[in-house]
Amino acid sequence: MVHISDGVLAEWLWGGGWAVTAIILAYALSKMKTEDVPRLSVITAAVFVASLIHISVGPTSVHFILNGFAGVMLGILAYPCIFVALVLQCFLFGFGGITTIGINTVNMGVPALIAYLIFRTGTGLNIRPETKNRASLFGAIAGGVAVVLALLFLAAELLTTGEEFLETTVLVVSTHIPIIAVEAIFTGVIVGFIATVEPELFGKK
Amino acid sequence: MISEIDRYASLASPIHRWDPRFRLVSIFTLIFSVVLLYNLQLVVIGMISAIILVCISKIPFSFVLSRMKLVFIFVLPFFIIIPFTLTDTGLEIAHLGMVTVSYRGIESVEFAAMIVLKALTAVMLIFPMIGTSRMDITIKALEGLHLPNKLVQMFAFTYRYIFVLDDEFMRTDRALTSRGFKKRGDLYTLTTMSKAIAMLFVKSYERADRVFYAMRSKGYAGTVATLHEFHAGRQDWVNAAFVVGFALLLQVAATSDTFSATGGF
Repeated sequence: MVHISDGVLAEWLWGGGWAVTAIILAYALSKMKTEDVPRLSVITAAVFVASLIHISVGPTSVHFILNGFAGVMLGILAYPCIFVALVLQCFLFGFGGITTIGINTVNMGVPALIAYLIFRTGTGLNIRPETKNRASLFGAIAGGVAVVLALLFLAAELLTTGEEFLETTVLVVSTHIPIIAVEAIFTGVIVGFIATVEPELFGKK
Repeated sequence: MISEIDRYASLASPIHRWDPRFRLVSIFTLIFSVVLLYNLQLVVIGMISAIILVCISKIPFSFVLSRMKLVFIFVLPFFIIIPFTLTDTGLEIAHLGMVTVSYRGIESVEFAAMIVLKALTAVMLIFPMIGTSRMDITIKALEGLHLPNKLVQMFAFTYRYIFVLDDEFMRTDRALTSRGFKKRGDLYTLTTMSKAIAMLFVKSYERADRVFYAMRSKGYAGTVATLHEFHAGRQDWVNAAFVVGFALLLQVAATSDTFSATGGF
């Protein structure tokens, strides 16, 4: 969805994106243990595979974005996951751009971190099958907010680059409004499901 | 289904023989150089250089084009939308109720073409860059370039598990279909797909734990172990000098008055 291609944004924007990504990535990697690598990788692969699933809604086809979900499940470690997923998406499918990997990671990853904060504040990460409705509700809010923020970031970046992107921005944002609802429902259902089936996964980082 | 970028990694060409570490850095530089150009002619020259590199690498164009179809769909809206505007600055061409559509002029068409060509060039250069060696060797090269070790490990494992989990999800999908499930645009489809993906995650977690214990017991200590060793020779440096030199030349040309910025925005 909100992958920005090469050559669209002003260079200070995508350059700045790389800088922000490098800083957060360095911090997240310092928090990460070598033992975490296989688990994070399998989850990254699962996010990657799930984001390839398309569902037709009305005339358009939407796919899951899952940045909010990654944030809810992984906290700060969602950032390297999203980075790796975007790099592989770019190299395997040509989605997005190469020079814009940094800024695209910011657009997806920073909302994921905010989604995590919302979820943590709302549920206290104390999730049991009995509290599944609460987890579900805050999961849905986190999932929706993550997409809204990703869209706002994208719109702000396109508009600062130049007024000739005004119409493109309007088009991109308006076509993604249904995705906010889809993603909120999706994250809510999936968090509720995991809360019932294996609630201990939320504490695992 | 996910197709593999390294399908033509076993061909023999000068680019395949090029040390992956040098190849990655050189072509990466070229990609950045092309993206930094703001002149249509120079971008076209960049595109031609990308085509030449793909030719040298002997990767079939049918493969490259089939991969680039998606990118093209992705950047096409820019090409269609940018020349037109809803503000009243250009030449009015249509009134749609309250909204006036105007045409910005030929400069904006060139500007849009430049954006599309830059995006396509960047993606085309991916093929000679990483399509010319096996993915595990490319990842080993990332380690050779001193990227953070944990990140390199994540690339290696994620790449491996994408295919495993894709197969796994296909099985779930078949199970759903065989029970009469059809994807529609309704809430039921959405919640069912959500639960299917949730199950994929739960299974992935369990699998990840088993994978980690299995790897530990085989002596995994967090480094890439392959039988392949890199030896940089004279030819590797010559190739790198050639590609990086060309990338710098494009930038030097961009500063001259002959190639002023396209579009004038």
